[in-house]
Amino acid sequence: LVAVDNQAEPADASLRFTAVVMPELEVLLRVARTMVSRPADAEDLVQDTMVRALQSIDTFDGARPRGWLLTIMRNAHINRNRRRRPSLLDDPAVVAEMATPPADAYVEEMFDAAIEVALGRLSERHRAVVELVDIARLSYADAAIVLGVPVGTVMSRLSRARKEIRTLLDTAGYQLPGSQR
Amino acid sequence: MRRFGRRRSPDALTCREAAKVLQAYLDGELDEIGARRVSAHLEVCRKCGLDLEVYTVIKAALGRRSVGDDDLAVRRLRSFADDLAAGRVAAADWPLDSGA
Repeated sequence: LVAVDNQAEPADASLRFTAVVMPELEVLLRVARTMVSRPADAEDLVQDTMVRALQSIDTFDGARPRGWLLTIMRNAHINRNRRRRPSLLDDPAVVAEMATPPADAYVEEMFDAAIEVALGRLSERHRAVVELVDIARLSYADAAIVLGVPVGTVMSRLSRARKEIRTLLDTAGYQLPGSQR
Repeated sequence: MRRFGRRRSPDALTCREAAKVLQAYLDGELDEIGARRVSAHLEVCRKCGLDLEVYTVIKAALGRRSVGDDDLAVRRLRSFADDLAAGRVAAADWPLDSGA
């Protein structure tokens, strides 16, 4: 076992930084996009995360790099204090469009559009967990880190959120497997 | 007195129990034993099977929203990471928002 040397050579820190950060860049970007509205802001957030990661790489114990980076990003995001406001989902015209499902409700594009509208109708808390697990493809444990809540909370919020989406789709007339229509 | 009908194994889940973990099952978040118990329940329960199908369709549609990761953005970020690691961008001088 090698003792952690806080005065490690800069080259070592750079190598560790590269090894830890590079494999997680796509995930970080996907998660960042669920946290801020503009793509450019998402990139900025990932850049800030990388800078902070490099600054504290010497104190990182090497366990769960993704969780470590997501914690840094969450804190960076809180500091940046930017909130996501998806403009498309706030557009009443888009919401109104959902009220009339197409004849063939399983046309994938239309269904996906309806899903997007349903997602926009969820509360901020429910939408965030769906975005992290289903869109950014995080595990429950990693989503819990980003949200700063226990894993059980992720599980229950996700379950309620998907049920809500299901109800919204049902109400809008989309025929789902097992629908009573 | 002998009872007719299927006898449940002591391990078998009820619909209510299965419903509680169905989405974790869908997300691959159950341990092996839990997943096996849900699978066994799904083999004999059409209602829960349909529920799983609904959530699978919804999850798949949500997942399609993440298709098309911005390769250019990822490349820019890789290049930034390289610059940071090589010292071409000085982390100490990077304008982080206050409160870092």
